[in-house]
Amino acid sequence: MAAPVLEVKNLSVDYVVGAGTFHALSEVSFEIEPGRVLGIVGETGSGKSTLAHSIPRLLPEPPAKIRSGEILFRGIDTLKLEKWQLPRIRGTGVSMVFQEPLNSLNPAYRIFDQIAESVRIRQLRETGKMPGILPAGEPFDYSKRDPPKASDVLTKPLVPSLPSKRLRTIIKADESMRREVLEYLRLVRINDPETILTLYPHELSGGMRQRIMIAIALSGRPSLLIADEPTSALDITIQAQVLTLMKELMSEVRTSILFISHDLGVIAEMADDVGVMYAGHLVEFGPLEDVYENPRHPYTKALLRAVPNRYKTDGSLPSLRGTVPNLSRIPSGCPFHPRCPLAKPVCSKDPGPALLPAEGSRIRGHLAACYFSKDVEALP
Amino acid sequence: MAVAEGRRAPGSAGVLSGPMGVRRTLRSLRPGLRGFVRVMRANPLTLLGFAMVVVIVVLALLITILPIVGQALLGRPLSILPYDPAYYPSPCPGPIVNNVTVCSLPPSAQHFLGTDNLGRDMFSRVLAALPLDLAIGFSITLFALLVGGSLGLVAGYWDRPGTIGGVFSVMILRLADVFLAFPSLVLALAIAATLGRDLGPSLLAILFTWWPYYVRLVRGEVLVVKQQPYIVAAKAAGVSDVRIVLRHVIRNIIEPVLVYFTLDVGTVIVTFSTISFIGVGVKLGVLEWGNMVEGYQTYLTSYPWMVLSAGAAIFLTVLAFGLLGDGLRDVLDPRSRRALAQTAVPTTLPIAAVPAEA
Repeated sequence: MAAPVLEVKNLSVDYVVGAGTFHALSEVSFEIEPGRVLGIVGETGSGKSTLAHSIPRLLPEPPAKIRSGEILFRGIDTLKLEKWQLPRIRGTGVSMVFQEPLNSLNPAYRIFDQIAESVRIRQLRETGKMPGILPAGEPFDYSKRDPPKASDVLTKPLVPSLPSKRLRTIIKADESMRREVLEYLRLVRINDPETILTLYPHELSGGMRQRIMIAIALSGRPSLLIADEPTSALDITIQAQVLTLMKELMSEVRTSILFISHDLGVIAEMADDVGVMYAGHLVEFGPLEDVYENPRHPYTKALLRAVPNRYKTDGSLPSLRGTVPNLSRIPSGCPFHPRCPLAKPVCSKDPGPALLPAEGSRIRGHLAACYFSKDVEALP
Repeated sequence: MAVAEGRRAPGSAGVLSGPMGVRRTLRSLRPGLRGFVRVMRANPLTLLGFAMVVVIVVLALLITILPIVGQALLGRPLSILPYDPAYYPSPCPGPIVNNVTVCSLPPSAQHFLGTDNLGRDMFSRVLAALPLDLAIGFSITLFALLVGGSLGLVAGYWDRPGTIGGVFSVMILRLADVFLAFPSLVLALAIAATLGRDLGPSLLAILFTWWPYYVRLVRGEVLVVKQQPYIVAAKAAGVSDVRIVLRHVIRNIIEPVLVYFTLDVGTVIVTFSTISFIGVGVKLGVLEWGNMVEGYQTYLTSYPWMVLSAGAAIFLTVLAFGLLGDGLRDVLDPRSRRALAQTAVPTTLPIAAVPAEA
C-alpha cells in the first residue's frame, strides 16, 4: 500500500482569546491514502473548518495555537516549517476550495489573471525557478481522460463570436497561458470559457465562481485538495451541479480529497472514508458504507437517526437531548458522555476513550472512540 | 507593456518577483481608461474637475517649459504669460488721486485681473505662481503617500503581535501617533519657523506632519482587505506574502487611497499657502499664492482684486482636485465602472447571451 498523502497525529488546536481558551481540536488523528476521498462530517463548531485550515497552516496564529501533534504531508511535518516556507507546500501540494465562493476571488482582476497566477506558480516550480513542492509522481494527464461527456459539448461557445478587444489583448499577451487557462475552465465545465476569461468575478454567479475556485485549486495540480464546505453557500440546485462536477472530476483528476461538510447526504455522495467529529474530537472513522450502516459510536448513530430520510414518517424527528458543549469547557473523559444514552461512570474519567478498532465491526479500519461500541447496535 | 509580457518565456524567473507584482497591478488598471470616458459622461461634475485639473497641469507645464524651449530653439524665452510678472511701468500710468499716482488698476481688457500696487499684471503673477504651488501640492502628497503608504502597508499586513513585524508595526504606529497628537498646521509652523524662512524648510515641515495620515489610512484599508476570503484563497494557492501585498492588497486598497491623494493635493496647497501667509513659508517676493495674499492684504479694502485673484487661484485649484477625487472612485472600481458602462452605452459583448448556469 502506498504511503498516505496526509497523516495527522494527535493534533490539538486551541483558540486563545480574551474570553478563555477554546479547544477547537483535541487529539485528532487520521490519514488519507492517495486517491481516496475522506469526508469529515460534524455539527457547526465541531472543529471541521479548523482542521481544514490547519493542514496548509492557514489558521491565524494567534489567536489559534497548535498545542500538540504532527501533520505529515507527504512526509513533511508542516508544523515544523518556518512561516516563510509555507507558501511552498500550498498550491502545488495542498490546495483549498473555500466556503465563500462570493468573496474568494479577487474583485479587481479578471478570471484569466486569477487562474493564470496559480498556473504560473506551478510552472515556475516545475521548472525549478521557484522553490516549492512539486505535484506528486502520480500522472495527471488530462489528454488521457474519458471521451467527452454530454456536458463537454456545452463548453464550446454556443454562438461563434468575434473575439472582443479585451480578448485580443489577452491573446496577444500570452497565447500558451491562455490555452492552459482555457483547459482548466473546460475541465470545470464552464460555458463559453473564452468570454468568461475576460470577465470580473462580480459578473459571475455563485456557482460559476465556485467552479472557478475549483479550477484554480486544480490548476496547481495538488496532491491533496481540501474542500471546506464548498457547497454550503450555494442554493440547492447549484449545489447539486457543483457536487456532480466534483464527483466527475474525481475520476479524471487523481487527487486525494479532504471533503468537509455538515451534510451527511453530501458526504455519502462524495466520500470513500468518513470521519465524524464532535466537540473537536474525531469520534468515529472508517469506510463510508460501514460507518453509515453500522455506526459504532452513539453520536454517529444519533446523527444518522436525525436525518429526515422519509417524508411520511409518523411523529417528530428524533432529537438528542442536551446541547453541544462549550469548547472552553469540554466535559472530562468522553466529550459526549453527558448526552450519551450508554454513559457509565467510567466515561467521565480522563483520559477519554481512544480511537480504536471498533468492537462489533468486521471491517478493518473502522475505528470508534467509545468504550461500549459493541452496544451501539442495540440503541434505537 | 503587453509586448514585453509576450517576450517573456511563460516561466521566467522575473514573473513572480516584486516589480512584476507592481506591474501587474498597474496593468490591471488599464481597462480603467475605457470605462473612464463613460464614467465622465455619466458624471458631469467629475468631468469638470478632470478638465480643470488637465488645464491646470498643462498651464503649469507650459509656463515652466516654454521659456526653456524658446531659449534653446529661438534664442529668446517664449511665454504664454501676457506680461512679465516682475515688470512694472515707471512711472506708472494710473490716474492721480490726491497728488498720488494710483498704480493699481481694476480688471480690464488689458489686465484681466487688474494690476497690483506697483502696476504689475496680476493675471501674469497669479499664473506664474501656478507651477510652484502645483509642484508643492504634488511633491508633498506623493512623498507622504510613498513614505506613509509603505509604512502603512507593512504595519497593516505584518501586524501579528509577537512577531518581528508586530514590533515594527507598533513602532510605526506609535511614531505616527506622536506626530498626529499635535495639530498638523501648528506643528508644521513650528518646524518651519525653526528651520528658517525658505522653500526647502517649509516643504520639509509639511512633509513631517503629513505622512502619518497615510500610515493610518493605508493601514486601515489593509486591515480590512487582508481579512477578505480572497486573500486567504491566494495564500492557499501558494502565493507568497510579498506578492500578496504587491498584487492583491495594493490593487484593492488603491481606490480609497488615490481618492484621498487627489483631495489631499488641494489640502496641501492650502496648508502651504497658510504657512506662507503667516510668514514662515517661502521668502518674501517669491511668487506663491499664500505669499501674494500676505503681501497684498493691506490693499484688501481699497484694491480687492489683488488679494482676490490670488485667493481665487487657490480656490479653483483645490476645487478642481476635489471634484476629480470624488469621481475617481467610480473610475477605479471595476464594479461601478462596468455598471456605468452598461447604462451609458449598450454593449455588444455577448455576455448577456450566455446563461450564467447551464
